[in-house]
Amino acid sequence: MIDPALFDIAIIGGGPAGQAAAQQTLAAGLSTTMIDEQARPGGQILRQPPPAFAVKGWMAGRLYRPLRRLLAQTEADARLKWRGATSVAGIERIGDHFRLTLSGTHGGTLLARRVLIAAGCYDMPVAMPGWTLPGVMSAGAVQTMLKSQQVVAGQPIVLLGSHPLLLVLATQILDAGGEVAAVLMPQTYGRMVLAALPYLAGAMFTPGPLMAAGAAMARLRRAGVPLMMGARPVGFTGDGRLEAVDYAWCGRTHRIAAQAAAVSYGFLPQSDLPRQVGAAVRWARPAGGWETICDGAMRSSIPGLYVAGETTGVAGADAAMAEGTIAGIAMAMDAGARAPFDMARAQARRARLQPFINLLRAVADPGDVWPLATPETLLCRCEDISVAQVAATIDRLPAMADASAVKHRCRIGMGLCQGRSCEHALVRRIAAARGCDPDAVAPFRTRFPARPLPFDEIIG
Amino acid sequence: MSRLVPGVTRPAPFAIAIDGAMIPAHPGETLAAAMVAAGAYRMRDDRSGAPRGMLCNMGTCSECFVWIAMEDGWRRRRACLTLAEDGMRIATHEAPL
Ligand SMILES: Cc1cc2nc3c(=O)[nH]c(=O)nc-3n(C[C@H](O)[C@H](O)[C@H](O)COP(=O)(O)OP(=O)(O)OC[C@H]3O[C@@H](n4cnc5c(N)ncnc54)[C@H](O)[C@@H]3O)c2cc1C
Ligand code: FES
Repeated sequence: MIDPALFDIAIIGGGPAGQAAAQQTLAAGLSTTMIDEQARPGGQILRQPPPAFAVKGWMAGRLYRPLRRLLAQTEADARLKWRGATSVAGIERIGDHFRLTLSGTHGGTLLARRVLIAAGCYDMPVAMPGWTLPGVMSAGAVQTMLKSQQVVAGQPIVLLGSHPLLLVLATQILDAGGEVAAVLMPQTYGRMVLAALPYLAGAMFTPGPLMAAGAAMARLRRAGVPLMMGARPVGFTGDGRLEAVDYAWCGRTHRIAAQAAAVSYGFLPQSDLPRQVGAAVRWARPAGGWETICDGAMRSSIPGLYVAGETTGVAGADAAMAEGTIAGIAMAMDAGARAPFDMARAQARRARLQPFINLLRAVADPGDVWPLATPETLLCRCEDISVAQVAATIDRLPAMADASAVKHRCRIGMGLCQGRSCEHALVRRIAAARGCDPDAVAPFRTRFPARPLPFDEIIG
Repeated sequence: MSRLVPGVTRPAPFAIAIDGAMIPAHPGETLAAAMVAAGAYRMRDDRSGAPRGMLCNMGTCSECFVWIAMEDGWRRRRACLTLAEDGMRIATHEAPL
């Protein structure tokens, strides 16, 4: 099925970044389509319940108000050509426009003069013993299951990792009536405060998230949920599914029973589509993965291709929204049209958020608190390749070997997820073996399709 | 059991079969949500036969690949992105013949 229409603007991703951009391009009179794998717009932070559900007070908090307003405006805008439940599997530049290959309910291809990739980020998969047991999930998975499907993904649940998002998740589960067994954070309280100190004064200009973290801690205390700082997760055990989480605390290993675990050590930018079309990327710090490089107006290194939100580096929903506005204004400007919002104001809005973003990155940095994998731990979950196999392959390769060389010898990253789960870990290991910066290690060459594409949908 | 009830109105459920066992699913739910709510965490097996389940719930990791019986045979789909449908038959180990 070929869509003959040539859009002025195609936006990949209906999160805060994509929606904010669409507002500007639509107001500027440009024909705009938005594609998202999810059935409804909202992105990860506002993953919506199915239309057939009625959920009282959904995402009612004050912090979510601007996001909810933007979402209501997006859904009410009849000019926007929305394509939900559709994955973008490929992007190519042909002459002065782009061709997107789609899969899902509305497969086929689509042409656009300008493309914005606002594909967001995903939870960093962190290899540790037992992490492939069913019931061990990313914190984002548990959170989106709660928000959109109104399902608590298992109880009692243990939350673990270095990212403060766990505190927010814990209160959301408690508010939903769920049972949280414990929140285990590997960094000590002192380390967290020290990491935050240099950024604290600047972050006071955006006090909302800091207050939310404080309120979350108080909520946990009232509910009697232990928040254990300096408790280092060791691994997961169970027969066919998760039954317990092991952690080290004060020099001893402890075991806590759980039906589910939510893990969060940070987020990685989605980078498959920018890399597929050849946009320049760099290693994201401190959590890793590849952020797409852009100028102050969100233009990537490819003419006509723009990026916004977590794709450019993980910075949260407010920054995503601000960057989306900037990208929308830039796309309109470059197309010879006029967007309603002022560029300098949009850029100032984004700049104001930076101190808090720096603070969060420093506090969440898994740098010295990574959990340890054993030689048997699987690093590549799709092809079942262990840490020992990967280490042996790196050892045998010449000193300048890159990620693709390791992949071709031991199959790491060849599976269905296209390396999204293991590539960051492999690059860190190669960098450590070579004694170089991760930025100096060439990542996998990205392939089409960016999403597992059923054969019947390509020809369908 | 782990579906939130207060404040949430769902359309009446239908039944889907997971490896022959019937579980309820509400219209609009993803397969992953219906399975997790029923405690059916296993969604596929790895090469060694060990069970795997949902990791990302956003289409990124491919750990939730299940087999679904369709008109023209069994097909693999991501359970976290696929809506449950009345009478759906799912296999988690391998596609039955
Ligand atoms: C699972 C998860 C849960 C999160 N929950 C929270 C939270 O509760 N609070 C918070 O402050 N932050 C949360 N975050 C951080 C979140 O990234 C930001 O808050 C915010 O949503 C970022 O906005 P964005 O527009 O950049 O990306 P997103 O909101 O992630 O939007 C990107 C959209 O692009 C779509 N997409 C990606 N690739 C493709 C493709 N190939 N084809 C089609 N569509 C595609 C996705 O389906 C998604 O809807 C979460 C992150 C994740 C990964
Ligand atoms: S759980 Fe990751 S793709 Fe479905």
